[in-house]
Amino acid sequence: MEFAMKNLSRRIFILLFLLLFAGSSLLAAPSASPSAEREIRVSGNIAKAVENARPGDVLRIVAGLYEETEITIKTSRISLLADPGAIIDGGGKGHIFIINADSVTIDGFKLRNTGLSHVRDWAAIRVESAVFAEIRNNELENNMFGIYLSRTKDSLIENNRISGGGDRESNSGNGIHLFDTERIQVRGNIIQHHRDGIYLEFAKEVRITDNKATDNRRYGLHYMFSKDSEYSRNEFRRNNAGVAVMYSQNVDMSGNIFADNLGPASYGILLKDIDNSLIGNNHFLNNTIGIYSEGSNNVRVEHNRFERNGWAVKIWANSTRNVFTGNAFTDNTFDVATNSSRHYNTFERNYWSAYDGYDLEGDGIGDVPHRPVRLYSIIVERNPIALILHRSLFIDFLDLAERVMPALTPQTLVDDYPLMKSPLP
Amino acid sequence: MKLRVNLLLTALLFLMLQACEPAPKDILIGHDECAYCRMIISDKPFGSQIVSTTGKTWFFDSVECLAAYELDHRIEQERIHSRWVPDFENPDNWVNAWHARFLYSEELRSPMGLNLSAYQSETDAERNREAYGGELKAWRGVLELVNEAWLDGNGTLPETN
Repeated sequence: MEFAMKNLSRRIFILLFLLLFAGSSLLAAPSASPSAEREIRVSGNIAKAVENARPGDVLRIVAGLYEETEITIKTSRISLLADPGAIIDGGGKGHIFIINADSVTIDGFKLRNTGLSHVRDWAAIRVESAVFAEIRNNELENNMFGIYLSRTKDSLIENNRISGGGDRESNSGNGIHLFDTERIQVRGNIIQHHRDGIYLEFAKEVRITDNKATDNRRYGLHYMFSKDSEYSRNEFRRNNAGVAVMYSQNVDMSGNIFADNLGPASYGILLKDIDNSLIGNNHFLNNTIGIYSEGSNNVRVEHNRFERNGWAVKIWANSTRNVFTGNAFTDNTFDVATNSSRHYNTFERNYWSAYDGYDLEGDGIGDVPHRPVRLYSIIVERNPIALILHRSLFIDFLDLAERVMPALTPQTLVDDYPLMKSPLP
Repeated sequence: MKLRVNLLLTALLFLMLQACEPAPKDILIGHDECAYCRMIISDKPFGSQIVSTTGKTWFFDSVECLAAYELDHRIEQERIHSRWVPDFENPDNWVNAWHARFLYSEELRSPMGLNLSAYQSETDAERNREAYGGELKAWRGVLELVNEAWLDGNGTLPETN
């Protein structure tokens, strides 16, 4: 409810803002046109062409291989548009583009080989202290960092294909890296083989939508110290450790797919110190752990599908006031695991494929409460080696006995209204 | 003869004691998790560790996480044998935190944002301070910094050892 209100008020705000903006641009239009826009074709040295450019210029880079590094853009309002087949090779010597001016567009390039540095974060496109940067339709290959924004606002990163280098574990950087940024849109990008696909640190009001982050060496997406942001309709597959959302507030995570994140420390989502957030309508499929929650409070987890995970949800006792409702838990080895018998979270009106109660009234809600924490999961938590007893008759007996007379599983972690059918299509 | 046996026994005993001395272990970069923040450790020049008196190790992705782990009472003081940080100039080298120099510099970004790098030699630390700016600290200064920045000053600073 709180979210709905917030969304509504945000929408009204955006609408007002747009109206205002449209009005002022109409007024401003006549005076803006005299500064003639030049379109310049560039086939030689790009850095030199950039240096000679005037505000408003469009530089069209013709097809060819350019061997340049540290092309520094200090003039605002210039666009660099690459013809198909325009490639800049950094030759392993540093950044390729450094943008240090407002309203700069980089579109359609193939950028490769920044090289690796021990102390410097080399990026194919580095934006430093700017506003209104637009980075679109580029193909980035074998760079340390792909797109790196620092102290930058109101910018767009759209439809780029970003792929990191071979198997160099420790020195590789992130595909899209946002440090100290506000109001950045990241959409429709494909990011592979980097350390983190998308990394945010001290970011505000960032929207990450319709991206695909797969096969990254650490996390598909990694939030640190960020707030008031959204990531939705993204796909995170086969990342070494899944997605980590850490030390952040007010994050909206909706409509994403988290799949095949497998490994001893691999998660659909790792939540660490997260407050006032929403996890809605996501699909958690075949992960070691679907959601792992530590020190996270007031997170709503609703209408998600948890299918064939090792653990659908692992929630530590230092996570409180979280609400799980309207979710479907299907064929997970463990639906819910925790480390304490005390518990301050709510599980209500979820569907559990492991539920073996009945519905005599026929109202779609099981007549017997469901306890999703198996005694076996608590035993495994204390002695991981007990996993070898999985699917043994002995464990079935233990679970049955515990269900009849709960002694070790948390008394309060119970779904009093378990759904008989999955609420999700 | 007897002297020789005695010598041999002493040598053996010495070797056994040597073997028992708790020592830092290698961190598996890209796989091991930070015991404090749970992040996968992927920056070798920052990965640190606590070694207990029984030889158990806790790995951290950064110097600041090691400090916070201790300040936040996640481990009892009497269980700690030693704390190890990597020499930024040569990350294969483990340096005892109490003997290391630390550079606190915005220009050398660490995984958890407090931007602390560690050095075995004072000269290396000083050279990097000149190159990147910032402030040099000893371990106690690091503990104080992390205590203020992360724990609102509520952590417990350990006695010097």
